[in-house]
Amino acid sequence: MIDFIQMIISGIAVGSSYALMALAMVLIYKASEVPNFAQGEMALLPVFIAFMIIYSYGYSVFAAFFGALVFALVLGCCLEFAIVRRAKNSNVLGLIIITIGLEMILLGFVSWKFGADERVMPSFPISSYDSVMFGDFYITTIDLLTLIVALVIMISLFLFFRFSKFGVAMKATQQNETAARLMGIRTNRVKMVTWGISGTVGSVAGLLIAPVIMDPYMMWDPMLKGFAGAVVGGMTSLPGAVFGAYIVGIVEHLFGGYVSMDFKAVVAFAVIVIVLCVKPSGLFARHYVKKV
Amino acid sequence: MKRDYYGDVKLFSSGVTLFWFAALIIFLLLYPFLFENYYVYMANYIAINIIVVVGLNLLVGYTGQISLGHAGFFAIGAYGTIVLMTLASFPFLLALICAGLIAAGFGFLLGLPALRLEGPYLAIATLGFGLTLTTVIGRIDMLGGRQGLHAPDLVIMGHHLTTDRQFYYLAMIITVLLVIIARNITKTKVGRAFVAIRDAHIAAETMGVNLVLYKTLAFALSAFYAGVAGGLFAFVLRFIEPELFGFFLSIFFLTMAVAGGLGTVMGPIAGAILLSFLDLELRNILNIPYVGDWLRQLSTSHFSLTGVSNIQFIVFGTILILIMLFEPLGLYGLWIRMKKYWKTWPF
Amino acid sequence: MKKVLLSALLSAAFVFGIFSPGFCEVGITDTEIHIGQWSPQTGPAAAWGAVARGTDAYFKWINANGGIHGRKIVHHYFDDAYNPARTIAGVKQLQERTGIFAWVGGVGTAPGLAVKDYLMAKDVIWVGPAAGSRNWLTPPHKNLFNVYPLYLGDAQLLNEYAINELGKKKIAVVYQEDDYGEQGLEGTKFTLKKYNMEPVAAIPVALGDSDMRPHAMRLRRSDADAVLLFVTPIAASRIIGTGKAMNYNPQWMSTTTCADCPLMMDITQGLYADVITANFGMRDDSEQVGDSQHINNPKMELMQTYKTEVFDRYAARDERWGYTFSLGIALAEPLVEAIRNAGPDLTHEKVIKELENLENFKGMLGRISYGPFDPEDPLTRIGQQSIFLHQCTEDGGSVILTDWIETEYIPMGE
Repeated sequence: MIDFIQMIISGIAVGSSYALMALAMVLIYKASEVPNFAQGEMALLPVFIAFMIIYSYGYSVFAAFFGALVFALVLGCCLEFAIVRRAKNSNVLGLIIITIGLEMILLGFVSWKFGADERVMPSFPISSYDSVMFGDFYITTIDLLTLIVALVIMISLFLFFRFSKFGVAMKATQQNETAARLMGIRTNRVKMVTWGISGTVGSVAGLLIAPVIMDPYMMWDPMLKGFAGAVVGGMTSLPGAVFGAYIVGIVEHLFGGYVSMDFKAVVAFAVIVIVLCVKPSGLFARHYVKKV
Repeated sequence: MKRDYYGDVKLFSSGVTLFWFAALIIFLLLYPFLFENYYVYMANYIAINIIVVVGLNLLVGYTGQISLGHAGFFAIGAYGTIVLMTLASFPFLLALICAGLIAAGFGFLLGLPALRLEGPYLAIATLGFGLTLTTVIGRIDMLGGRQGLHAPDLVIMGHHLTTDRQFYYLAMIITVLLVIIARNITKTKVGRAFVAIRDAHIAAETMGVNLVLYKTLAFALSAFYAGVAGGLFAFVLRFIEPELFGFFLSIFFLTMAVAGGLGTVMGPIAGAILLSFLDLELRNILNIPYVGDWLRQLSTSHFSLTGVSNIQFIVFGTILILIMLFEPLGLYGLWIRMKKYWKTWPF
Repeated sequence: MKKVLLSALLSAAFVFGIFSPGFCEVGITDTEIHIGQWSPQTGPAAAWGAVARGTDAYFKWINANGGIHGRKIVHHYFDDAYNPARTIAGVKQLQERTGIFAWVGGVGTAPGLAVKDYLMAKDVIWVGPAAGSRNWLTPPHKNLFNVYPLYLGDAQLLNEYAINELGKKKIAVVYQEDDYGEQGLEGTKFTLKKYNMEPVAAIPVALGDSDMRPHAMRLRRSDADAVLLFVTPIAASRIIGTGKAMNYNPQWMSTTTCADCPLMMDITQGLYADVITANFGMRDDSEQVGDSQHINNPKMELMQTYKTEVFDRYAARDERWGYTFSLGIALAEPLVEAIRNAGPDLTHEKVIKELENLENFKGMLGRISYGPFDPEDPLTRIGQQSIFLHQCTEDGGSVILTDWIETEYIPMGE
């Protein structure tokens, strides 16, 4: 029983970074209708920028992280403005290939600039492997921090979409772009900012992984798992994405703990196939019925 | 001019096409004598990718389904061929076809969930298939587990094929055959059913197209192509292990198909040729005179010299983006544009 | 008809294949010796790219000191991104267009195996594949000289030490899902069997998996008091860290792959102190058990030379002086020694002869010996069999724990 609860706790811990990536992917999917394979790298570059700010220029961690997040926002906006928007005539597959191209460029850039050596985000105030014990259970402080940050981001996104004018405009654009444009919403600008916000959310996940380990491929696994979580949740629902990501994390841990470690890394995908066979559009999205 | 149905299904629409086809065949026959061995190896690699991509195009381009798991079928073909040859002592060609059929069986199975899924949901399901498959293979000792499997000698009708040039003719014959078959499929009832499903599957269903049959058939066919290509690939590498067939490979296949131009026969071939060429040749980017020196200098002053090879990624990504931005139909779209420009010049 | 055509084509191809030119003295001119190498400079395995850059700097140093008998070494190394299809392409291009006298290093089991048959068929020397795989020796080849001690040996020594010296009763293995990990597991089982033991847990790690919490959980549940890690540095650091977070502190032990103490101390944020790893060299004969050493300030004279003359002068500014870089030098040493011994009148056969004559050759690694080729005896091509253990310390240095110990060669299927 103790093991079981511990596995759930660890599953939630790892699920938090998946959830952030899932949120980021869903934001972009809703805006541009493309699964963004560059999501991981859109977080990777800001993480390395933060590293550079600390390591080469000697600023504090907080300044560096703030700088990285601003950079992520600008990067997301720029990518949408300069590239994705230009591909207006492309179909979904074309857009996917464009995100793969972006992924390669960003990854290549990071590896070119920083090399392939393994490293750790320097001078992060919380030690990566200290833990908080609740009786028999433990959670590392950095996991706890990730969990809290993830919750804060979810709530603020919720509030943002509910109450801010811009958030409502985003929702309108996602639901019906033409109508939104007719209502006087600058849908292009809305999309651009959505990419920026998505990049920022993803970068938060990256920045919280970096104190444990940093290398140019660090974001692949969280990105894929986040994508998987988003699909379980339904790809168009923000709470669904978060829920799906936590499910992926917990299932992985339970499966790894009780059944077989061999298939731990892929079990999430098997779960997805089962979920999707029952609910083809994920758990939370309304099933989209095509009008003939 | 297509005046009737037979005009449409004819392999060569005119004498000019026939001429170019004959010229191509002659070129392919002479290729190994014209170029050094390295380019023959490259041609083999490209031929294998062409087979996969042509098959993938039947699924993605014609039927409108997405697959991020084709490396899985590729792996089934590679492992199937080797195991059938070593354990069941099948001759190569039979083993290759059987392995292709096994892959097709898996394709049929993967086609079943595809009946209900589309878009990113299907993408994730197929992706999961590919990832799971390599893990499963890694657990089966008969398949060499994680330590991999060596290919046996390649013998066809008493001839041992050992050099790239010998393998070239085998690969080319299979490739040309499979491409022609794929082209013919697209012109038949099956092909038209695929296109109908892609364009409007509900309309297709009401017209009497059996969705279950044709969607699974598309997956099975496409998997067969990938399987055959995988079987050939095993003999190019002569050693296979599960990690070769990872997620990146599936992405690479999809990239070749889309960048070439989906829904056409020539497009994916062009895509496979260009991107496989880049894949093998971009490592030499630092040896280009002047450019290489300039890049090295740039790396020393602004980047890191140890990571300079990663410029390959940047170039590859940029080419992908440019193709897709400039012409959503990919290389084939560019070709059409060029042709139009040429025909209507100077207007 | 088709059949006839097909067989005609194939026989044409066959005939043509026979006449493909076979060279004898490829890659040597009066002023140059061409040596080739592949390594991943990009992709997930790019950290191993430093091997080739190390070799490159070493050859530059040799050339600056007059080359070998008046010949300069021309080093061609290329990036294969750990993708065997690209390794084959690069090897074929260099071998057939430029002509390579010998290949050195070459990172990875899968890329190496993809070109092994080709290189052996071309009768080209290949010294020191950068992976301790048994595949290089099953079967042994006349032209393939192994240098890197086998992972199987690491496993033996680590287990024996844990049982005999540390008195550990429960040993667990964490292994990466590839050739490296599987051979570690096999070696562990082989050694434990001698003591009538079995690993209390054998936990696989998928490549690319970034979440090691379940693995650490399983280790804690197995209650092992010594854990052997056959994984990459990143995975090792994650597992040790997660273990610490859950208050589980067994004796961690690892292989030569994770033996770079300064690097490991850095990425584990200090948790790597007291971890025991196998080590294959960079130790002088004068250094005894209990002595401490530090890779940045080596006591070994030869290594000090390499650091100041090779690394400081010829390495890129952003290069790190560590295990992977120096391994690149170490793997090339036997080849250079043999070429030097072969004298000014260089031939392929002479170099093989000189390599076979190497007896307890001591470069940066341990003692390397080969013997006259015997297709039945892998030991004629194994190179180095002795390794020792060391333990990392707080300052990024290490303490030597054992003498050089000769490990046993375990043939396939035992």
